[in-house]
Amino acid sequence: MGQVVQSAGKAGTAVQSAAVDNGPQQYLTFTLGGEMFAVAILNVKEIIEFGSVTEIPMTPAFIRGVINLRGAVVPVIDLSCRFGGKSTEVARRTCIVIIELVEGDLKHDIGIMVDAVSEVLEISPAEIEPPPSFGAKIRTDFISGMGKVNGKFVIILSINKVLSVEEIAILSQMGETGSTESV
Amino acid sequence: MDELTSVFIQEGREQLQAMENGLLDLEQDPDNHDNINGIFRAAHTIKGASGVIECHYIENFMHRVENVLDRLRNGEIHVSGDLTGLLLRCCDQLGRLMDVLEAGDPEPSAEVQAAGESLQIELNTYTAHAAPVAGGAIVEVETDAAGDVHSSGGGVVNTDSWHISVRFGLHMLRGGMDPLSFIRFLGSLGEIIALETVPDVMPPAAEMDPESCYLGFEIRLQTRSSKADIERVFDFCRDDCELRILPPNSKLHEYLKLIHDLPEDDMRLGEILVRAGALTQAELDEGLRAQLQVRLPGAEGAAESTPIGEILVDKKVVHKEVVEAAVHKQTQLSEKKAVEARLIRVQADKLDQLIDLVGELVIAGASANLLAQRSGQSELVESTSILSRLVENIRDSALQLRMVQIGETFTRFNRVVRDVSKELGKEIDLIITGADTELDKSVVEKIGDPLMHLVRNCMDHGIEPAAVREARGKSRRGTVELNAYHDSGSIVIEVVDDGGGLPRDKILQKAIDKGMVQPTQTLTDQEIINLIWEPGFSTADQVTNLSGRGVGMDVVRRNIQNLRGSCEVNSTEGEGSKFTIRLPLTLAIIDGFLVGVGKAAYVIPLDMVVECIELKSNTADRDFLNLRGEVLPFVRLRELFEIDGEQPARENIVVVQHAGQKAGIVVDQLMGEFQTVIKPLGTIFRHLRGIGGSTILGSGDVALILDVQSLIHRKTRQEERSMHANSALPRSTQAN
Repeated sequence: MGQVVQSAGKAGTAVQSAAVDNGPQQYLTFTLGGEMFAVAILNVKEIIEFGSVTEIPMTPAFIRGVINLRGAVVPVIDLSCRFGGKSTEVARRTCIVIIELVEGDLKHDIGIMVDAVSEVLEISPAEIEPPPSFGAKIRTDFISGMGKVNGKFVIILSINKVLSVEEIAILSQMGETGSTESV
Repeated sequence: MDELTSVFIQEGREQLQAMENGLLDLEQDPDNHDNINGIFRAAHTIKGASGVIECHYIENFMHRVENVLDRLRNGEIHVSGDLTGLLLRCCDQLGRLMDVLEAGDPEPSAEVQAAGESLQIELNTYTAHAAPVAGGAIVEVETDAAGDVHSSGGGVVNTDSWHISVRFGLHMLRGGMDPLSFIRFLGSLGEIIALETVPDVMPPAAEMDPESCYLGFEIRLQTRSSKADIERVFDFCRDDCELRILPPNSKLHEYLKLIHDLPEDDMRLGEILVRAGALTQAELDEGLRAQLQVRLPGAEGAAESTPIGEILVDKKVVHKEVVEAAVHKQTQLSEKKAVEARLIRVQADKLDQLIDLVGELVIAGASANLLAQRSGQSELVESTSILSRLVENIRDSALQLRMVQIGETFTRFNRVVRDVSKELGKEIDLIITGADTELDKSVVEKIGDPLMHLVRNCMDHGIEPAAVREARGKSRRGTVELNAYHDSGSIVIEVVDDGGGLPRDKILQKAIDKGMVQPTQTLTDQEIINLIWEPGFSTADQVTNLSGRGVGMDVVRRNIQNLRGSCEVNSTEGEGSKFTIRLPLTLAIIDGFLVGVGKAAYVIPLDMVVECIELKSNTADRDFLNLRGEVLPFVRLRELFEIDGEQPARENIVVVQHAGQKAGIVVDQLMGEFQTVIKPLGTIFRHLRGIGGSTILGSGDVALILDVQSLIHRKTRQEERSMHANSALPRSTQAN
């Protein structure tokens, strides 16, 4: 499934249909502002405690900053802010989930800030509903599907869209000019 | 592509470059015989090597070229502009053929082939009355070559045969090389009279590794080629084989030395040599007996009268490997390529890996330093400081490994200037200075294209036609200068021409036409000149195939900015223009100056820092101060970066200088020098201006590296904009 998400594009559909036949897929679930979200487990590289984050000036609020991940500098995205909400308060269970993205030939590691990591769940494709066209209060292209777990819906994120490097880069540029003009 | 081919392409391109440079010199100095020989050697090496890798289209093509060069060398034809032009075009064709080989295509495309054929027809006009070119062509060349004994650089003897003894290395086959292709190519030098295979090191079948090469050959070769030519056959496997070449008419003891040096059993080898016709049985017996006698009385007494080889053999009884190595080294030293042998070809990515590791070492060292200082143990502090000094040295030498001279990039332009000036019908000289200035390899690779744009622009737009130049009282020949030098931690590359300079009025008019500036705007001369960096700008009346499409200059600037560099232009109308490119020396590790604002730490590149002073409070609201009579504008980092928190009682100013311009940066704390390993911030932040990258502090925190120039630029723009806004809205109160 991870491959499916990673290789969004040409080969994506073919792989997806194969993956659907393969039965249940594993997802990492986490909470954010009291809501439950899930990402495909193959995208997740590691989960670390929220530590010292260096803020980057002149960037939009959803870019929380960068961290030192064993010598590599990795950006951290405040997911709640990215969905248009408030910025996440740091609490005892706040975590950074390091996600590996593949875009073309390039690999990026990006951290996402979540309130708490819950568990790894298996959700079979039959239990996944298509995203609602409105009402989720999140851009619909960010949602890859709604998983049914214990009678509740879990929002399965389309992580390539949420963390689209292209889009974030453009947004951060706009943030820059915006702040320039506001002074 | 196998290893052999990639080595060929790499070395072939170097030879090609040498050949091209030689041809350009030839135009200036047609009688330099050494130069002609050099060109011939380069062409011959390419041909030979292409034979080894069995790339026949290059071999055939180079053979034609070599024929012409050979006649040139023998004085049968004379240097002319047409001839050098033709040969230069042949170089281009060869470059294209190498591209084909590099791309892995089995055959060059029809287009390339057609170009090659037309060149061959032209080449044939120079060899028209030479012997007809046929299948045995290579031999014919050698016959020609023999006519010029001195230039081929080795003792050429017409009688008797060479003795070549070669043992291929175990990894030969794994390296993708076929021993037979070498032998086959050797055959093209002359006639192989006898060839004995020496399979003695072959282990029993059970232990044999089918991928290893156990073969050796004893070869008698009749040729008129020199020793260097024979050696060149084995160029590609030199590191991986044992090669011994004995000239014709060698002394008996030299053969004996050979016998003893080789790992095989003496008697067995002797028999092989007898069979190959190198020695007679009587000679061999006598020689071995003599050797034995020398050995019996002990090496001490015999040392003076015995040739050095035999002493070595004596010692071999004890340390065979040592002697082997020594002998091998000796032959290497005596070769002409001694200088070349001191260079080691290293894969670039291995170097990159080393630099990465050194970077990690620097970070780890900084963290050890910090801990030592916290612990308060003076001995520990002392030992870590020694450690960090060593790390600093290692860092410097590691970075030095990647430094290359810019000369190679510059000399490429000789050809460009020659061709373009012919095409434009202008007379232009290229003057190169500072070719030995060194800079990081990764920078050198990326600077070629922007330089190419600038040089072409200078020639096309800058230099006037000869008639115009004369009318203006200048010499007919225009000059373009390329200059490089170091300046406070960066490298400066200048492209200077003595042409007409940038036409100020024309640029302004064009900018107004294109709507880039308003007709009412008043601009300084420098501002007008800087308009040429804007996208889509061109003042050329006609679009030539060189320049004038207006895509050049902004691309140049962007490329240079991507290298964390800057570029500017100065121009005086009628006298010429000067483009100055400023680049950082390295892209990996710099010396930084660590400052703190609030809780955050920032690094300013140390070579930009001039001094640090305390910011006296109550400097009103204006952001400038009096620095010993100079006006020093400054930037408050806290404001610019919108950092929360109280201003401390005491603030400091770091005075920075960049490209002659001074400015101050207001920070809270000064934390001192810091070796900074640059970590790129990643694609997400690629549009971010003002931050040049990041680094990791000893504490493990990430600090941002300030890009001083764009910070100041940003601040300037910001103020300009707010001033405009304020003047547009007269009722609003002044913000500052």
